[in-house]
Parts: sequence; structure tokens; C-alpha cells
Amino acid sequence: MSFISYLINGISLGSIYAIIALGYTMVYGIAKMLNFAHGDVIMIGAFVVLNMVTLAGVNPIIAVLISMAVCTLLGMAIEKIAYKPLRNASSPLAVLITAIGVSYFLQNLALIIFGADAKSFPNLITLPSISLADGKLVITGTTIATIITCVIILLGLTFFVNKTKQGRAMKAVSEDKGAAMLMGINVNATISLTFAIGSGLAAIAGFLLCSAYPSLTPYTGAMPGIKAFTAAVFGGIGSIPGAMIGGILLGVIEILGKAYISSQVADAIVFAVLIIVLLVKPTGLFGKNIQEKV
Amino acid sequence: MKALEVKNLCISFGGLRAVQGFDLSIEKGALYGLIGPNGAGKTTVFNLLTGVYKPDEGIVKLEGKDITGLKTTAINRAGVARTFQNIRLFKDMSVLDNVKAALTDIYKYSTFAGIFRLPSYFKTEKLMNEKATEILEVFDLDKEKNILASNLPYGKQRKLEIARALATNPKLLLLDEPAAGMNPNETIELMNTIRFVRDHFDITVLLIEHDMKLVSGICEELTVLNFGEVLTKGKTSKVLNEPAVITAYLGE
Amino acid sequence: MKKKISNNMITYGMILLFYVIMQVMISTGSISSLLQGLLVPLCMYAIAAVSLNLVVGFSGELSLGQAGFMCVGAYASAFFTKLTEETLPEGPRFLIAILIGAVVAAIFGFLIGIPVLRLRGDYLAIVTLAFGEIIKNLVSVFHVGVDKSGIHFSVKDAASLNLDEEGRVLIDGPLGITGTPKNANFTIGIILLFLTVFIVLNLVNSRSGRAITAIRDNRIAAESIGLNVTKYKLMAFVISTALAGVAGVLYSHNLSTLNVKFFNYNTSILILVFVVLGGIGNVKGSIIAAILLTALPELLRELQDYRMLIYAILLIGMMLFNWAPSAIAFRERVKDKFKSNKKEAA
Repeated sequence: MSFISYLINGISLGSIYAIIALGYTMVYGIAKMLNFAHGDVIMIGAFVVLNMVTLAGVNPIIAVLISMAVCTLLGMAIEKIAYKPLRNASSPLAVLITAIGVSYFLQNLALIIFGADAKSFPNLITLPSISLADGKLVITGTTIATIITCVIILLGLTFFVNKTKQGRAMKAVSEDKGAAMLMGINVNATISLTFAIGSGLAAIAGFLLCSAYPSLTPYTGAMPGIKAFTAAVFGGIGSIPGAMIGGILLGVIEILGKAYISSQVADAIVFAVLIIVLLVKPTGLFGKNIQEKV
Repeated sequence: MKALEVKNLCISFGGLRAVQGFDLSIEKGALYGLIGPNGAGKTTVFNLLTGVYKPDEGIVKLEGKDITGLKTTAINRAGVARTFQNIRLFKDMSVLDNVKAALTDIYKYSTFAGIFRLPSYFKTEKLMNEKATEILEVFDLDKEKNILASNLPYGKQRKLEIARALATNPKLLLLDEPAAGMNPNETIELMNTIRFVRDHFDITVLLIEHDMKLVSGICEELTVLNFGEVLTKGKTSKVLNEPAVITAYLGE
Repeated sequence: MKKKISNNMITYGMILLFYVIMQVMISTGSISSLLQGLLVPLCMYAIAAVSLNLVVGFSGELSLGQAGFMCVGAYASAFFTKLTEETLPEGPRFLIAILIGAVVAAIFGFLIGIPVLRLRGDYLAIVTLAFGEIIKNLVSVFHVGVDKSGIHFSVKDAASLNLDEEGRVLIDGPLGITGTPKNANFTIGIILLFLTVFIVLNLVNSRSGRAITAIRDNRIAAESIGLNVTKYKLMAFVISTALAGVAGVLYSHNLSTLNVKFFNYNTSILILVFVVLGGIGNVKGSIIAAILLTALPELLRELQDYRMLIYAILLIGMMLFNWAPSAIAFRERVKDKFKSNKKEAA
């Protein structure tokens, strides 16, 4: 029975990774850049919810919505100020280093505003737990909420990308920026929209992450960020279902590793997964091979 | 023995047949032209010959040796060097260093000797400098050898690319639109240089070109490519007068 | 060519000058004990920055695990020093410790580089970043002790090593290694910095260095002239990690307690800040930035809280200013204007 409970925990953690990985994978697909600051947007989102609820006494649902708005604006601002000027830079390193600068900036800004000590995150999800098999298997409300949220986001995003005008514009820009521009697509607006959606999702991920692991510091977002990127690579960077499946697999691997091997080594296992994927199938499970034009 | 023999080369990109059933046979020491309208697949052929793309089907033989499907690096070592349609120089390196980089695997000393400046470093570097300067002289670039490659005027950048390719000691040299962006005088000069290179370095040249003056001026034989397939081939003067070729270029 | 050589001479001269000035100040007693305590760390940061510049500046790849490789070098060398503390004389022991630090860090660099360097540049960044974090986790699980019957090893705690009464604990999990003799000093630090600069500059101006920069400038063209891309990228990366390992040796042999906490993400980023602010591909700049940015905040304590935030802003600003096409065009315009004004004045 404990195996099943670990498995469910893994799927729950994996769902959070998946939501974060969506942000990475969409931005990577469209702007061809690794947005290092994505993990830190999660942390900012969690701090917004925390302060809204504890200091301003706002209703949790409203607090999450405010947090989404803040992160969306933050994501768009980061893109506009730090990344857009470097879109045609001669070295691909330029935007990568700048993204690290942004990540470092957000962490240290949070450090000055909120302090270094860990804040405990209140339990805001009031869904009841489910008890199965005579109470041997308990699924908490947070776990249920996380998995349901993840499924809703996946369905919504798939619908958005395939059925709406803006979503199809995104696909077009990720295929060929120049051609998309010639077809009358506003490339700048589309890239900005991608950052907005990714960052809005990051706010939700931040809230869910801190609900499941209720300790919040300025560095909370960094490691889940790296792992979610691993998940995105695992699933095939640029692919939405890939990010989902990669995220969930990675979450399950991590929780099972923690349970059956050791909690310190679990991170190393996740990292080993990344290396093995890169060695065996660098394009990931669902990825396409991107070839440079000669 | 043929310098290059290609049989039934095919590649498609997502359902689009970019090159199909491409055959080519070039005598040793020939100056051979590959022409065709834009988008006919000429550069794709070069990319297939140099291992940038792997062919779906077909065989490529260099002086009788099968080099099909090898990596770019290995194909160069087997004896194929090329230039690029959109110039690809090492732009933050000097003109001399661009050529010396191509000599890396011809004049060798260990990395250890390089770091700790052992005698072999000085001896080999001197030889490399001499060889690189000698090649640059052919292209009249030796006076500019210490400036950055990106600071060269456009026409000279094209020449430097040829010099760099030549430094790898190839048997077959592929030139992708060597005269693009050059004025008529520069083009005539380039024609002479290409002929000189072929004779002096004992190599075979295959070139893609749109400038018909250059093509008819130096190419002995041609293959015409249209929509990824060979339209016709043969002696230059004959091919250029074929109605099908004129139609392909000018339309109906 | 000549210009390059004289530029290198300025770099060596600058290190020498820095050494002489510091020595004079020490002997005349005109240096605060705070600054004096910083001298070895200054050398360590400068070595780390120069080594990272080899990867970022000359190989055109981004590594975010420099602190992780320093950690490997620090632990491997301190472990060796503690193990042979009673059997080897100090001089040769420290020399071997330096070599061990370099070699072990290089082995880790090699193992990480092989799968990752074949791929797009971003992957190296994320994998080295992950490596830096995970090596910290792994190292803090190790407990190693030695007694008459040999070396004991445990991942639980020091007690479960089952040492006899004369046994010593060498690595004590999260507490790290304590009591490493203070073999490093400013002179050794400067010599190692000198050697690092010598290796990097000579490598860059050699056959392999040309291949490395050629691959950075244009990978496809580099392949077309027969260069083995993975080999040369790996070479630059492994040499860089070996030198980072040397920086780690300086760290572990300067403080009596070696703790993994120092080798975190922030340290890796700090080293990247030195490289970017000193100028990507500029060895002299890396050294100056490492020295100034390490010494200044220590001397200006008030700034300490905002130090990292200021670095982050400087990093972003510097990248935008140096690399954004619009900023480059703007600089060109200003330069032209300045030139034409000057001409008019003449």
C-alpha cells in the first residue's frame, strides 16, 4: 500500500513539475532560449500569495488570482527589458547569461524584501482528504487539487494552442519566425504572450508547490526550476504533452528514489536521468530534431 | 579513376523531396559546374556531399572510396573541402588564424607542447605560418593577414573562405556561389584564381554559380538541377543552349 | 601578433605588480588584517574567474558549476592532505595535493562534458548548474575515517565508521573536513594564479586554442575544415575544471574548516559576474574584476546587504550594453559623432 501512496505523491509532485515545465518548454519552443528566471518567478508568485493571505487577509482564491496577475506582468516585463533587446545578438550566450542575471536579481531582491529565513506557508487548500482501503491509503486534498489543476491546465493549453488564433500564431512563430512575420503575425506580441502564459502558470505552480512543501525562501524556486527543465528535456523540449509526461515521470522517480534509496541521493538520481536522456535521446520523448540551416 | 561519383542521391524534408535520384560523375582535375534556378536543391547537394545532411538513399564515392553517411569532419579528412553560400568565417579571428585553424590536423604538436612552449611548438608554428602565408598569397590576402576576418571587404571574405578550405589539402573543392556579391572585375580575377588553384594544387573543383559568365568561362562540364532532379548534363556550351535549360531559368 | 604578446605581458606584469605592492604593504604594516586575510581568497577567485573565462570566452559555452568543481578539488586535496598529514613532509605533500585537486576535478569535468558538450550550449549550463547543487548534497553524506585497519566509509554518521580508539575521522558529513593544515599563502596563491594565466593564454594562442575559438565562432565551418568539435570543446572544459579544482585547493588549505556550504550556486554566479564584468574573453579583465569585486564589498561593509543585488543589475546591464544589437549600433553612432567632432576641431 505504501508503494501506491508514494506513487500518488510522485504524480502530485510531478504535476507541479509539469506545470513549471510547460513554461520552460513554451518559451524554449518560441524564443529558442532557456529562461533561467522561470524558477524564480515561481518563488515570487508564492511570496505574493503568502503575503496577500497572511498580511492583507485576502481570500486564498483571490490571492492566487492576484499572484497570477503579478507573475504575468513580471514575465512580460522581464522579456521586454532583458531578453527582447538581445534577440538578434551575435552570440547565443548573451541572452542565456542575461537570464541568469535576472534569476540572480529576483532571488536577491526577494532576499532583501522578505529575508533569508524560511517562511511557513499556510495550508489554504480546504479540500477533504480521501481515505481508501480502510484508511491504509490517504490522499490529501492538496494532492487531489494539484493533480486536477494539472489536468485542467493541460487540456486548456492544448485547446488554446490548437484551436485559437493566438495559439496557432504561437505554433507558427516557433516553426519559423521570419515566415510568421510575413504572414502578418505580430511576432513580438506572440512572444510576449508566451511569456505571459508561462509566468501565469508559474504562479499556480508556486502556490501548489508551497502548499505541498510548506516552506518558502528566496531560493525555493531554483531547484524545482532545474528539475522542471529536466522534465521538459525529458519529454522533448518544445512539446506540451512532452512537458506533462516528463514532469510526472520525473516526480515519480524523485519520490520513489527518496522513499527507497535516500533523500539526498534522490536529487542526484533526477540529475542522472537528465544525463541519460541527453546521452540516449537528446531530443527527448516527443521532441523534434532542430537542424541548423546551412 | 573518377574524382567524385554520386549515384541516386535522395533526401526529403518532411515529405518534401529536396533532392531525388541525383547522379554525378566528375573526372579528376575537372572544373565542374552545378547550376539551376533558385531552390533547385544545389546547396542541399553540397550539404549531402559534405555530411551536413545524411542522405536517405544513394552512394557518394570520393576517388573510389565510399564516404556516404560519414560526419562532416570525417568527410573533410577524406578530402572534401567547401565554402558556404552565406559566408561562414571565424569572424573574431585574424585572417592568418582562419587559415591556420584549417591546418590544425596537418601540422601537429601536442597541446602540452603548446601550453608549455616546447621547441616543437615554435618549429611547427613557423611552418604553419609559412604555409598559411603561402596560401594567402595565392588569393592576394597576405597583406591583410593580421586583421580580423570580419573586417575584410565582402569579396575578400569569399576568397578567404576558399583559402581556408584549400588549407585542409582537399582532393575535391566545393565552392558555393564563389562570385556572389562580386563586381565584374573581381569575378574575372576570381576565375583566374580558381583555374590557378586547380592547376597548382592538383585538385578537382565543383562549383555552384549563378553568374553565367563565370560558369561558361571556366566550367568544362555542367549538371543542371531543377526541382531536385537532374535536368540535363554535359559540355558547358552544349548544356547552356538546350531549350529545357533556358525554360527552367526563364520560365515559359 | 606582436600586440597580442605585449598584451599578455601586461597581464603578467599586472599580477606581479599586485604581488609586490601587497608584499610592501604587508612588510610596512600598512595593510588591515581584514585585507590581509583576503589575499588568498582573492587569488582563488581570480583563478576561478580565469578558468571560467576559458569556457565562456574562448569556447563559447556557459558553465554554471564552477563552484562545484572547486568543491571537488577542495575536498579531494584536503582529504589527501589529512590522510598523509603524518607521513609526508609539508612541501611535497601540498604539491601533490594541488595536483590531486586538479586531476579529480578534471575527471568530473570529463565525465560531465562527454554527454553534454555534443549538444546545444544551453544544456551545458543546466547540467553544470545541477551538478554544482548535487555534488554539495552528495559530499555532505560522506563520512570517511581512517585507523590501523584502513579507510572506513559510511553514509550514515561518524559513529557508524567503527574506528578503533586511535582512528581519525577525515570527512564528517555536513561538518566537512576540519583541521586541514594552512599550507596556502599569498605567494603560493599568486604563483598558482600566474600558472593559470600562463596555461590559459598559451593554450588560446596555440594550435588547439585556434581550434577552440574557431568552433566558437562557427561550428559548421569548423566541422567543414575537419575539426573535431567535441574533442576541442571537451579539452577547454576539462582544463577549465582542472583549474577550478586548483582554486578549490587554495580554499581548503587556507581555512581550517572545509564546509560544502560555500560551494553553492551563488559562488558559481559570482564567478560568472567576474567574467562578464571583466569582459568575456578578456583574461586581464577577469582578474581585475575578481580582485576589485571581492575586496571592495569587504572593505565597504555597508554595501554588503545589497552586494548581490547590485551585481545582478550590473550583470544584466553589462550584457545588454555589450551584446544588444541596438546598443552596439548606438555605441557606433556615438563613436562616429565623437570622431567627426574631433576632426572638425582639428
